[in-house]
Amino acid sequence: MTELYILDVPENTAVAKAAAEDPAATVGQVGPYFVISAEGPIVIDRRATGCRHAVWYSCVAGVARTGRITQHDKDALRVEPA
Amino acid sequence: MTELDHRVRGVDHVAFPTFDPAATVRFYRDVLGFPVVHSICAAGWGPEDHPDFIHFFFDIGNDDRIAFFYYFGTDPSLGGPEGAKGDVHGRFGADVPEYFVRSRHLAIHVENEEDLLEYRRRLDASDWPVEMQIQHETIESIYTHDPNGYFFEITRAMRPVTPQEDLDAALTIDALLDVVAQPEPTFGKLLARKAELIVERAPGWEPVGSEPAR
Repeated sequence: MTELYILDVPENTAVAKAAAEDPAATVGQVGPYFVISAEGPIVIDRRATGCRHAVWYSCVAGVARTGRITQHDKDALRVEPA
Repeated sequence: MTELDHRVRGVDHVAFPTFDPAATVRFYRDVLGFPVVHSICAAGWGPEDHPDFIHFFFDIGNDDRIAFFYYFGTDPSLGGPEGAKGDVHGRFGADVPEYFVRSRHLAIHVENEEDLLEYRRRLDASDWPVEMQIQHETIESIYTHDPNGYFFEITRAMRPVTPQEDLDAALTIDALLDVVAQPEPTFGKLLARKAELIVERAPGWEPVGSEPAR
């Protein structure tokens, strides 16, 4: 189980939306955070988000200990089971 | 969580040394249009070998001020050997990373994009043109170096800060304090600790001033 938290602010909406494209991932809400969860890896395509540089590299608010970020670069954000 | 009342009212002044008062006045007063609002002409005094000096202030808006010291009879060698990087006060070797050299800087606030671009126009017409214009997460900034080598930023908010960002900032700092109290802090450990704090505190969070849930 992997869980990725993203703060719900206008710049980050596209990130949560892109995450929801993956049928294996579910997007919920806890307080003012989006929670993206999946049994396996969570992969978000940078281009699908249209985020500018600074937003893309600062969009992650938290990653539950059951997972870890294995890629966060110009192409994608990938969180995999730890 | 602090319960202390918050009484301070912004920056009174921030002060830097200069060895080139002519260029400094040209940059701040003549190029940027920051009025000279105060100056002190002082004979050297005190126990040390203190030179005579001028302490002069420019208004940076909101009654806040940037101030300079010019010490008569001195030159940049006062601060030690010339650095490959940095400014007249902070000198660094060629091997010091640029992100570290630039980390300490002053950013002056403007209200909107129009004002940001007006200062860009003024700088671009001067000897100190804008070196970078960047949209960060929620602010947009222009950067140059002033005549003393000080890294100088003017910035505008692209939108107001939202209440949830205050919550997020508080969680970040609490997570950071937890992580740096342990050996080998990493970004990954911070995000893991922050996830725990989010689960703990975010569900009950309500923006200040919002209606209680019924």
